[in-house]
Amino acid sequence: MVKLDRINLSNDGLTKFFSPIEARIMQALWEHKELTTPEITEMTDIPLSSVAGTLDRLVKAGFAKRELDKSGPKVRYLYSAAESMDNTANTITKKVLDSLVDTFGKVAIENFHTYHDKK
Amino acid sequence: MFLILDEIGCYITCISDSGLASLIGIALVLALLMFSIYVKTEKPMARLSSFVAGQLCVISAIVIIVYVMQCSRMLSIEIYTGYVTISTALVLLLPRVYSRILIRRFDARPISEIIDWPQEFVDELEIKSEVYYFDSAIPRAFASGKAIFLSVGILELVDTAELKAILAHEVWHLRHNNRTPILRQLALMSFTGNRSEDELEMLADMFAEKVVGKSALESARAKVS
Repeated sequence: MVKLDRINLSNDGLTKFFSPIEARIMQALWEHKELTTPEITEMTDIPLSSVAGTLDRLVKAGFAKRELDKSGPKVRYLYSAAESMDNTANTITKKVLDSLVDTFGKVAIENFHTYHDKK
Repeated sequence: MFLILDEIGCYITCISDSGLASLIGIALVLALLMFSIYVKTEKPMARLSSFVAGQLCVISAIVIIVYVMQCSRMLSIEIYTGYVTISTALVLLLPRVYSRILIRRFDARPISEIIDWPQEFVDELEIKSEVYYFDSAIPRAFASGKAIFLSVGILELVDTAELKAILAHEVWHLRHNNRTPILRQLALMSFTGNRSEDELEMLADMFAEKVVGKSALESARAKVS
């Protein structure tokens, strides 16, 4: 649900941090510079009824951004990822690490060192 | 119980001595008539007008009673006056306030900032109403008070003819004051029922069909529902 307090460690890939629909939409946005709503529904193969609400949530959470395009015969949204995939990964990682250090203090830091040394 | 009987006795004495009993009687009979119309009628505007007229008749009767009363035993009148004042103020003010609240909550902007024709189309339907759009990908359209709200999602989804059908549908709601909380409020305050949502939607669709034709209405309905 785009909220890092609901991380699900047993899920695969991006669905640890995003819902499956959010993950598919974000993947499409990272792979393309700009997408319209119909393009997102087509690429993700998710119906508009599910995509629309999810896009609102992703924009509100700051992962996606949108601009209103008034140049054509109809108004439309143009969506893009707020940050690159690497920057988003960086933000998520920092938040997770902060949370672990907040909760476990020294033990968490010692584990990071052990992990770093093993690598 | 004794106090209430005492109070009623006081009313009867004061009113019959004043010589204005017939005037009070007429005001109360008129009020009863108006409240009967409110309960019986199905037309939203008639319901609203009869309720307000009924309240005004009762207020007139109360003013006369207060004028003729020689003692201070008027607790029941004070309670009823309080109820009438608060409920009438709510009924009259709520739709205006509600539109303002919605504009603020959805951070709505006049639609003429992004498209010209929807506001002109609504003006042509002879209703004084503002059309607003708000930032959401979810296709939504609704009317309240004196305003019609459209999400960007619905503007993306439907074509011009379909959007006209949607606007006509919402105009019907505004014309009949059904989407405002007034009638629901009245139904609650006067302990009576209101028309069902399905019936109102059907009537709004019938009006939209008359304005824009069946095919635009049906395709709009298919896309939005």
